[in-house]
Amino acid sequence: MLILSRKTSESIVIDGRIHVKIVRVEGEVVKIGIEAPADVPVHRHEVYEEIQRNNQQALVRPAAPLPKLVAPKKTTAAISTAPLLKTAKP
Amino acid sequence: MKCNCIEVEPVASVAASDLRLPMGLLGFERMKDYLLIANPAEEPFGWLQVKGDTSLAFVVLNPFLIVPDYSPDIPQADVEFLGLSDAQDAMLLNIVTVHKQGQATLNLKGPIVINRHTGVGKQVVIANATDYSVQHPLLVSEAAA
Repeated sequence: MLILSRKTSESIVIDGRIHVKIVRVEGEVVKIGIEAPADVPVHRHEVYEEIQRNNQQALVRPAAPLPKLVAPKKTTAAISTAPLLKTAKP
Repeated sequence: MKCNCIEVEPVASVAASDLRLPMGLLGFERMKDYLLIANPAEEPFGWLQVKGDTSLAFVVLNPFLIVPDYSPDIPQADVEFLGLSDAQDAMLLNIVTVHKQGQATLNLKGPIVINRHTGVGKQVVIANATDYSVQHPLLVSEAAA
């Protein structure tokens, strides 16, 4: 891992298009400003980890019983499969 | 002609369609091919079954059924990756976690966004993930199971 020392308001450039700037340091909290093109998604690492953990927890065997959901209204179709589904067995 | 077998009622219109997630699901990057199964008897839930391994599946749900004003901010890179040009092209499925004691939650931070026309999807980390829970509680009736 490349480790660089930066002072407040100094920045680094990644790939000539992603700018990461140290905005402020308050005790243990570092405020970082990120400027990146729209096609570069920037997320807190914890969000990825959270979704990953949840996916692992959500993996089930199809024989598992489904909960009985209390549907709020009967208006919306459950899962609109219309154009996506090609094969429907009668 | 008569046969000595038990007559089985055909399962009423269980629909299945191929779904490809080229990036897999977070934590399951290698599993890219799925079968989306919608059984009317199990509405509003659907199954996202790993193709080639019928013992592995995820329960999915149309999030708008639970949170009518759900407004996930899909990053532009994902919109382009999926080739979505209109909101109508997209179908959203969110993963349900069935917990012990019959409780269930819905992941609103990472919806699976699918292009209806191509059958290609991606689990997207929404840009406004901080507004939503990864385990949004589902109301489950007491009489479950």
